[in-house]
Amino acid sequence: MISKAFKSYWFPLVLIVPFLAIYGLIFIYPTISMFVLSFTDAPLIGSGNFVGLSNYARLFHDPRLLVALWNTAYFVILSVIPGAAVALLIALAVQRLSGRLQAAVMALFFLPFIVPVSVVYLIWDWILNYQFGIGMHWLDALGIPRVPVFKTVTWFMPAVAIITIWWTCGFSLLVFLAGLRAIPAEIYEAAALDNASRWTTFRRITWPLLWPVTALVLTIQLILQLKIFDQVYLFSTGGRPNDTVVMVQYIFQMAFQDDHGGRAAAVAVTLFLIVIVVTLVEFQLLRLAGGAPKK
Amino acid sequence: MFKNIIRTAMLATALISTSAFAKETVVWWDFLGGGDGVRMKQLISDFNKENADKIEIQATTLEWGVPFYTKVQTSVAVGEAPDMMTYHASRIPLAVKQGLLQQITPDDYKAMGLSQNDYAAATWDAATIDGKQYAVPLDTHPIVLYYNKDLLAKAGLLDDKGLPTGLDGADNFKAALGKAKAAGAKYGIAGVTADGNFMYRTIYSLMCQQGGELYTNGKFLDGDNPAKLAKALATIADWTKSGLQSGYTDYPSTVALFTSGQAAFMINGVWEVPTMTDLKKNGKLFEWGAIELPKLFDKKCTYADSHTFAIPANKGKTMTPEKHAAVLQVISWMAHHSLFWATAGHIPAYKPVVESAEFKAMQPNATYAPVTASLIFDPKTPLAGVAGPIFNVMSTYFVPAQNGELDPNEAVKKIKDELNNLQ
Repeated sequence: MISKAFKSYWFPLVLIVPFLAIYGLIFIYPTISMFVLSFTDAPLIGSGNFVGLSNYARLFHDPRLLVALWNTAYFVILSVIPGAAVALLIALAVQRLSGRLQAAVMALFFLPFIVPVSVVYLIWDWILNYQFGIGMHWLDALGIPRVPVFKTVTWFMPAVAIITIWWTCGFSLLVFLAGLRAIPAEIYEAAALDNASRWTTFRRITWPLLWPVTALVLTIQLILQLKIFDQVYLFSTGGRPNDTVVMVQYIFQMAFQDDHGGRAAAVAVTLFLIVIVVTLVEFQLLRLAGGAPKK
Repeated sequence: MFKNIIRTAMLATALISTSAFAKETVVWWDFLGGGDGVRMKQLISDFNKENADKIEIQATTLEWGVPFYTKVQTSVAVGEAPDMMTYHASRIPLAVKQGLLQQITPDDYKAMGLSQNDYAAATWDAATIDGKQYAVPLDTHPIVLYYNKDLLAKAGLLDDKGLPTGLDGADNFKAALGKAKAAGAKYGIAGVTADGNFMYRTIYSLMCQQGGELYTNGKFLDGDNPAKLAKALATIADWTKSGLQSGYTDYPSTVALFTSGQAAFMINGVWEVPTMTDLKKNGKLFEWGAIELPKLFDKKCTYADSHTFAIPANKGKTMTPEKHAAVLQVISWMAHHSLFWATAGHIPAYKPVVESAEFKAMQPNATYAPVTASLIFDPKTPLAGVAGPIFNVMSTYFVPAQNGELDPNEAVKKIKDELNNLQ
């Protein structure tokens, strides 16, 4: 019996072992270590003493954690749904084109996505720099006083959110286009025969049939934007880093600048749990919004 | 035939390994990416040429700030750190707490032919923790006041020797900024008002000029120090408010405002001297100069840091005595040749160089060299130092305060709370 089971399992096992080993080494093991580390007073490098829950207790009285949580949530609100909406609008427009023109326009919208974040930062700093940005000359021409976009709390998050949408909506656009192409043309033909208006066609056909893709885009965006770091870090250099801090940046500050490995791990565990809970809630909401599960 | 090939290969291997044994390599990391980096590369190549058959420095330049210091920590932990590296004196307290540096023993100093008498007291002290040395200072780099001589002449702010005059005292300084602006500049002074980390250097100097200190008796901003910090902040905020200083200006823009003649003054580190020298050489700059920060309050005082050489304490690895000797030889050579390093604007730490006739003839270094008598270094706590923990706190509140968004007293209250919360 055992040997028979072994015979049928050993080959698949051998095939998945390399994956399991690497996954365990670079994901499972560090994750467990992170949990263990969060109960110690370790510095960035090296081990520390067990301190129980005191790192977590300290988080409750940490005003900067609240700032980081709020900024992250604010950024998610500003970027996830608006980002998906922009991508969907562009996808609907691009779909009406055909042939080479469609490919060319799609490539143009996708182009920002392949640019590394450091270049994104330089481009936008070049435009919005308070003293020398070319955008500021437009404001001057219009007689509007200049705005220190990345140096004030009011403008920082909206600006970074808009830049992020500009940068990453190319990817969502591709997913939406694939979804739109998967909707059978016959359905649209039938609707046309029934004299359905463009808006009705969208509301009754495109939107519901595209819903699984929309849900996917929203979920991917949500997880990505909860983990926002690069843009915020780059744009806040020298500005007001503690007022514009987001969760991952807070972990970075605590670990790499303040040399508190244990406390940083406690923040990381908190973010880990938040991402899991928010994603689960979102998934359930999307399932309900997409109509009752069709069984 | 085959035997011959093997014999040749063996001979070649033998030759390579003997030459490798005879020649010691010194792996070197630094963070000098600007105009001073070019000059350091020159020094390294000079050293390699001079010691062609004995020692070779293999140098790598890494990203300044947090990236550099993080890499040092991780590489020391796994025994992969270089044989020597540049280090900011202000980061030494944190480095010693983290166990990153080897002590530089009195014997080492003897071997290098250097001693405490060769250094200014403040600079020597900056590399000392609990009476032990952890680095060898190469230079002192204070901030200085750069000025546009053409504009100042028009504004009547030069004395008969051609040096700026009438800048002492906060009110006089503000009036001078106004005169310079009236003489045709867009701003009296270019300030890095969008970057609190950078302005920390100026603000800390102005605080010290009132006799204030940041860290005393294990506490941040104890006693009447908050009022002194608030006064320093308010002074700078007032320049911005009166339109005499550029608002929300980041570092590159600040340098650009000055070098394009739009600002008459600029407070910046001596490391921008090569920028000015090179522009001037190409005929792209006005007549310029640099002087010690004027005395705005009760006494002269200027913030400075020091580039030092340090030897990493690699975990699980001991340096061979030969390698150790080679590293010391490199450090000693650099100290004795630091006159060339002064062309990068820095003031060499090695006194005999500063006292030499060549240095005294070097401009603008010689003009601001007396500043070494009234320097203040970062407070000696693991929380201070460039790109260290206190940087984010300072930046967060300095930026709104300097630009009139936040009341200086309110800013100082928050800074005090957050700094003490870091401990």
